[in-house]
This record gives sequence, structure tokens and C-alpha cells, in this order.
Amino acid sequence: MSSPALEEFLARLYTDEAALSAFLGAPTETARAAGLDHAEISALAGADQAGLIMAAASFRAKRKRRSRRHRLLRWI
Amino acid sequence: MAGAGAAEGRDRFGLGWRPELAAGILAHLDRIDVIEVIAEDYFDAGRADLRALRTLAAQVSMVLHGTSLGLASTTLVAPRRLDRLARLVEASDAEGWSEHLAFVRGGGIEIGHLAAPPRTEASIEGARRNIERASRIIGCTPLVENIATLVVPPASRLDEAEWTHRIVCGTGAGLLLDLHNLYANAVNFGDDPHTLLRRFPLEQVAAVHLAGGRWIDGPNGARRLLDDHLHDVPPAVFELLRELGCLAPQPLTVIIERDGRFPPIARLLEQLDLARTALAAGRTSVR
Repeated sequence: MSSPALEEFLARLYTDEAALSAFLGAPTETARAAGLDHAEISALAGADQAGLIMAAASFRAKRKRRSRRHRLLRWI
Repeated sequence: MAGAGAAEGRDRFGLGWRPELAAGILAHLDRIDVIEVIAEDYFDAGRADLRALRTLAAQVSMVLHGTSLGLASTTLVAPRRLDRLARLVEASDAEGWSEHLAFVRGGGIEIGHLAAPPRTEASIEGARRNIERASRIIGCTPLVENIATLVVPPASRLDEAEWTHRIVCGTGAGLLLDLHNLYANAVNFGDDPHTLLRRFPLEQVAAVHLAGGRWIDGPNGARRLLDDHLHDVPPAVFELLRELGCLAPQPLTVIIERDGRFPPIARLLEQLDLARTALAAGRTSVR
């Protein structure tokens, strides 16, 4: 368990609100459709859903902040 | 070149280099032993910027801190990312570098920040492979940092302390122990911070990060501490530093990270003094 496919699946949950919403509504089916193995699917079925939502929101805010960030002043 | 936390036989205290803090840092180098520069800010730097960085490194000890390699992944870090960091380490005269035990992308999807990977045998093996490869290409072993997470990493089989222990002890990498990350993870997931601290491989700690955060509300009444680097270091984290000073006798490099809502430099210097006091108190305690 813990594979490139699982990391890709999690990266999608953290960056795609529709994907996260679909997962929260049907965790097992969504994970199965992503081609994850049985152990991964089973583990994801019991995932910390509140934490996933909060983490995704935090990553979204950080991406937004970064995109607003001015080029750094490197010297004075 | 020594590792990023290799001190000169004494504890050192410093700040994360940020443009907003540059003037204040340069005006107070008598109270700052070391600065930590975000590596990604200089990946596309021209010759003038690199010369400025070397000039800075000539005035104060400097370490580079990476945020985008994604060392704790089951996927190999792309060679171009390692080559880019190797060039910067070479060109900057930094005394070493550090990175996070995180994954930051998967299947070409960039998360844009540090995510905790599933804590499994596979991610331990992936992290070991990436650290060894990065060490070879860059020319020195990084310090690796524990990260904060708002979610229990899905599909994990190990807890954070054991997972970190296995990676650090399997690679010989030093640990950059972020005490606010440790504190946040402990309070968010029902652990006692001091118990969690003692379960980390403290003999491997070479450097420490201190920062602050805030409580945020989530669905279904969930409430978690977010490590946002926008607030002062809380007393509970200084207390962890005091305890670390007691448990880890080796010289430590302590860095305060601040990424926004910048206070006057005097306030950050006060926080550095609090860190000095806390660590010194731990040093004089009976183990």
C-alpha cells in the first residue's frame, strides 16, 4: 500500500474540489474507479473526511497566496 | 561542505530570510547567527542575485531550505529538480540544505504545498531512495523536516514518530525538527506533545524550526491547529524547545520561520531571545 497511484489520487483530492466532493459522497467507488488496490480502497473508505476537507482548503489558500506573491526582493 | 545543521560546537539562533525582513536582519546581524534561505526563490536567479546571495553568506551563516522536491514519495524526484538544487548549493556558498518529508505532487498534479504521504513501508523506502539519490547528486546529505498535517494521512500503517525514525535512521540524514509542526500534529490528533517529542529520533536532530499558527474550524465540529507561520511562536512550543534542550545535548541550529503579517524586527528578535532562554534552560536541566 502507498503507491504512485495512491499519491496521484490524493493529489487530485487536494487540488480538485469536484474530485473531493465525489470521493466524500462515494469513497469506495471513487477509489476503485481510480484503479487503486483493495487495501488502498479499504483504507480510504475510513479516511479522515473532515481532515481531507480542511487540508484541501488549506492547500487551496496556499496556492492562491503563492500566485499573488510578488517576485521576491532579493537584496536591499 | 557540512550538513545544514552542523553548528560550530554551539547552539545557533536565526531567522528565515524573507524580503520583508531583509533590512531588519541585516541591521541586527550581531543578534542573528544564521539565516535560512528558501531555495526555490533562487532557482531562476541571475548572476547578480547569486552574487548577492554569496555576499550575504559571507556575512552570516546561511543554509538553503527546499520546499518542492517531494522527498517522501514513492516516485523518484526528477533529476532536473535535483540538478537545479545542486547548482544553487554550489553557487550560493550555503553551508548545507534541508527539505521536508512530504510529497508535493502525484501523477503530474502539483499540490502546491507540502502534503503528508501515507506512512507506510513504501513511502519509507521511497524517501530513503530519494534522500540517498539527492545526497549523491547535490554532494551532501540534507536535513529532513517533519511536516504539519491537517489530515491523518490516508492509508497510513505507521504513526509519525516511527515513520520518521525509520527514514532518518535508515539514511543517516539529520533531522530538522519543526516543533510547531510536531505540536500541531499532536494536539490535532490527540497526542501529548511532550510524549510525541520523546518518540522522535532526538539524537539525530541537528536543527529546529519554530513558528506559530491558529485554530481553524472544519466540518462536523472539527477544530484543528493550522501551522500558518503568520503568528508568534506560542509558549507551548518554547516549552518543547526547553525539553529538547534537555534531551538532545548536541549543538542545535534554531530558526524562527515567519511568512507573513510581519511584526517589527524587534519582536522577532525578542522571540529569538525567548528561544535562547528556553534552550539554555533545557541545557542546564538534569536529563
